[in-house]
Amino acid sequence: MIGRTSGGTAIAVSLKAPDPAAVTARSTLARISPVCCPSVILRYDHWDFTGEGATEESVTGVVRHYTDIVNPNKQKWCFESELDAGNSEGGLLWVPVLVTDMVDSVSENWSNILGRSHPGLGPVRYSVLWRLGYDGSFSEQEAESMAMEVSVATHRRKGLLANPVSQEIRFLRRIGT
Amino acid sequence: MKDLPLVAVIQFPGSNCEYETARVVEVSGMECRIFRWNQLQPLRDASPDAFVLPGGFSFQDRVRAGAVAAKENLMDLVVEGASGGRPVLGICNGAQVLVESGLVPGWEPGRIEAALAANHVSGRSGYLSTWVFVRVRNGAGIGNPWLSALGGSPVPIPIAHAEGRFVFRKQDAGRTRPVEALAYCSHAGEESGVYPLNPNGSFHNLAAVMNPEGNVLAMMPHPERAFHLWQLPPWIPGEWGDRRSAALSGGNLGTAPGPGSLFFRSLLEHFGGGAA
Repeated sequence: MIGRTSGGTAIAVSLKAPDPAAVTARSTLARISPVCCPSVILRYDHWDFTGEGATEESVTGVVRHYTDIVNPNKQKWCFESELDAGNSEGGLLWVPVLVTDMVDSVSENWSNILGRSHPGLGPVRYSVLWRLGYDGSFSEQEAESMAMEVSVATHRRKGLLANPVSQEIRFLRRIGT
Repeated sequence: MKDLPLVAVIQFPGSNCEYETARVVEVSGMECRIFRWNQLQPLRDASPDAFVLPGGFSFQDRVRAGAVAAKENLMDLVVEGASGGRPVLGICNGAQVLVESGLVPGWEPGRIEAALAANHVSGRSGYLSTWVFVRVRNGAGIGNPWLSALGGSPVPIPIAHAEGRFVFRKQDAGRTRPVEALAYCSHAGEESGVYPLNPNGSFHNLAAVMNPEGNVLAMMPHPERAFHLWQLPPWIPGEWGDRRSAALSGGNLGTAPGPGSLFFRSLLEHFGGGAA
């Protein structure tokens, strides 16, 4: 289970087809950082619904109503807690990395929209969730260290997934094999 | 021996302004060749005098605009050229590539010290396609290979981007002045942090940032789309609007140069050409 960072309910939205951004991220990292490149990279839109009214039931209602959040023709979704289901796949050690824009219009706009239509909901926070799958032979510490290396773009040839000048990077609680 | 300076326009997968950019370079009186992102040896053999990274959506903006292209091997040659003093211009997505490459602001070359983040200004966010005015920051144009012909007056120029907001680390906010190249302003030259004068919330109203040496320029506006005077819309106010009206009346609107041509004239003059 991925550790929650706030009260409320979070969901993860992914493409039904392989995610092109995840494919490109992995091929780029394999070239610039072969030692630290994960075996598998998965990418999700991560929506964190806060507030007293952010129950699984109400969030399900929001998701079914707003196809801009989940387009059922091409996307699937689950509660963050349900990501457990695929974690042991391939015996990989998964490191979940959450990338959030420090100034984020998407979150602001959806907070305004949902604040009007769903009074019990608090602010909504949009992020991109990257799940980096490392070979199970690595220790959790090693995997997290390598994930840090590939996630934070500090130099042209070092790091990719987040620009720390404008984005926050959070490593959610690690998941075992 | 090359007769004309050679400008290399770099085409990444997803670039979409390379042909018009190459066209205006040639019309300006320089030789131009388009090199694909995987043509390292041809680019090395050509040894271009300057580089232009055009607009578009390199690698479909996957991960983050400009982030993947910045890590391409071909960028090694652009970095090498920049460090050797050759002029490098990034337009829109090209600017995003330069920022993600650490070439701009380039206090510590190669280190990523800025971001072109999503547009965010009070009253406006998201993709924005419009005409704006920009002017050269005080002193930035002197001897600059891309800016010397612009003078200090505001020039109209189009923008079209969703991620054009220059952002710096807090600790760097006090040292940006020497790398500030172009600022958004009104047709009269007034600056404001408020939309629409600042169309995207950019730090210090910045439309373009350069490296400390001034040879690398990352600009969000599209000079190639304002190269000819006829490309300006008829409602443009100020000096350039007057020029457009006069050219229309005089029957030479089809051949008169627009404000975008000044960037390329600067480059030509940098190489010793173009002085009438």
